[in-house]
Amino acid sequence: MSNSYKNEKMTDTERISFVKNTKRKDDYLIIMISIIGVLGFLIIWQLAVVFGLLPSRYVPMPTEVIKLFAVKLVDPNPEGAVLGVHILASLQIVLTGFLLAIVVGVPLGLVMGWYKGFDSFMRPIFEILRPIPPVAWIPLTILWIGIGLKAKAFIVFFSAFVPCVINAYAGIKQTNPVLINVAKTCGASNFTTFYKIGIPSALTMTFAGVKVALGNAWATLVAAEMLASSAGLGFMILQGRQFARADIIILGIVVIGVIGIIFASILGYVENRMLGWKK
Amino acid sequence: MQKNNVVMSEAERKSFLLNKIYKILPIISVVLLILLWFIAAGAENSNFPSPQEVFLRFITLQQKPIKEFNLFQHIWISLIRVFIALIVSWIIGIAFGILIGWNKKANALFSPVFTAFRSVPPLAWVPLMTMWFGTGEFPKILLVFMGALMPVVVNTQSGIANVAKMYLDVGTIFNANGKQLLIEIAIPSSLDAIFAGIRTSTSAAWMVVLAAEMLGGRSGIGFLIVRGMNSGDYALCLLSMVCIGIVGALLAIMTKYLERLVCPWTIIK
Repeated sequence: MSNSYKNEKMTDTERISFVKNTKRKDDYLIIMISIIGVLGFLIIWQLAVVFGLLPSRYVPMPTEVIKLFAVKLVDPNPEGAVLGVHILASLQIVLTGFLLAIVVGVPLGLVMGWYKGFDSFMRPIFEILRPIPPVAWIPLTILWIGIGLKAKAFIVFFSAFVPCVINAYAGIKQTNPVLINVAKTCGASNFTTFYKIGIPSALTMTFAGVKVALGNAWATLVAAEMLASSAGLGFMILQGRQFARADIIILGIVVIGVIGIIFASILGYVENRMLGWKK
Repeated sequence: MQKNNVVMSEAERKSFLLNKIYKILPIISVVLLILLWFIAAGAENSNFPSPQEVFLRFITLQQKPIKEFNLFQHIWISLIRVFIALIVSWIIGIAFGILIGWNKKANALFSPVFTAFRSVPPLAWVPLMTMWFGTGEFPKILLVFMGALMPVVVNTQSGIANVAKMYLDVGTIFNANGKQLLIEIAIPSSLDAIFAGIRTSTSAAWMVVLAAEMLGGRSGIGFLIVRGMNSGDYALCLLSMVCIGIVGALLAIMTKYLERLVCPWTIIK
């Protein structure tokens, strides 16, 4: 739009190369600006601490966080575990809860969306339990299951369960009625139609739900690890608060963020592989 | 309406009967849920509170307030925090979302840093915020603000960036300038996306305020839960959970009505 086109006449090849060139320049500019944005943020942060605009006791410098990252890889002090152990412990909790939510939530949503009787039975229960956020389940979880891995996975499960159900439900509700009628005309039973037509056409929506679920599961981690634990990224952050070590907290936050991004990109890849035929 | 003297075919009679069953089933399921609660509470040596106990706890809480607030005041305190944070996050979030959705250079400059912040769950900020700002009002509102800001920005940005190209082209043909394109075409056509963000942000805010109050606070509904948990007063926990559920549902309904008021064309049904 903002490109200034030359007035003199160009041959087609010239025009193509001109457009390509401006596009390449634009892309290059965009990438440069992105890099400037990130670097600028880090540099401003660093300088603000160096010049004492922010108290260094509460705001560690980026360089310190990086240094701490290297140290934490091997040094369990002060909260009692190295970074790898924290990450593994957190992954264990989150993946248990997340997989459980998929195994329970997706079929539940699919069946609810297809069979009306089951829908009218389950819907009220689901609607009653849905608005209660996962954090609010913590006391009851302690009462029922204690404070072990199961209890933490249960809290994560709750946050991941709801989007799985809702999306599977909405997805199967949107099945094209023409397809259903074709199946009926060809004499398919209700179950066959559900299995062969309902489920495949609900897959896109379901997958979107699974993605949200994984994000939610990972976001609930800190809440789940408020329950007594001896390792885990959420535990590390909370301990950092106990020791008043802002660098530990920020390192934990950064690691949680990075793993969240990795998760999202893995799921995006899986989605492309699994649902490539839809596009 | 079906009447008895109308002759119905076999299939019609069957579907009529099924419809009746479908109407009764929700009631049965809710009754079953409540029964289950009674049974779970009645089991031997379980300290799971029964519905009566929860109700009695509600009455005692009205008479003997905790930290000088009764139940409704605690809920109100939480709600005030949510509302302040929501309004600020809507104003800033929509403005920022429009900026990075409309202007490619601004997007390139801000969105990497923003994505980094967004991928950190709001709960992970809680320890840092309590360390920096203590346990007063400000850190809680800030936390809720951060939790609510992300969905608004993301939805606004994608709404503005994905305006149907044809609409913009039509605007260009009619000689609209950049400002008109943005205000008269892009923003109205992405209102539904913006509202999707507002809906998500409301439920996120309600969740974050609970977590913030649970991890350090002296008032609010999240504080009540922790109080109940620490003193083994599970009736109080359950009472707060019920209230949280009800308020959460009410907030969802309220945003739906707000959406119907502001942009009625986005609601299909």
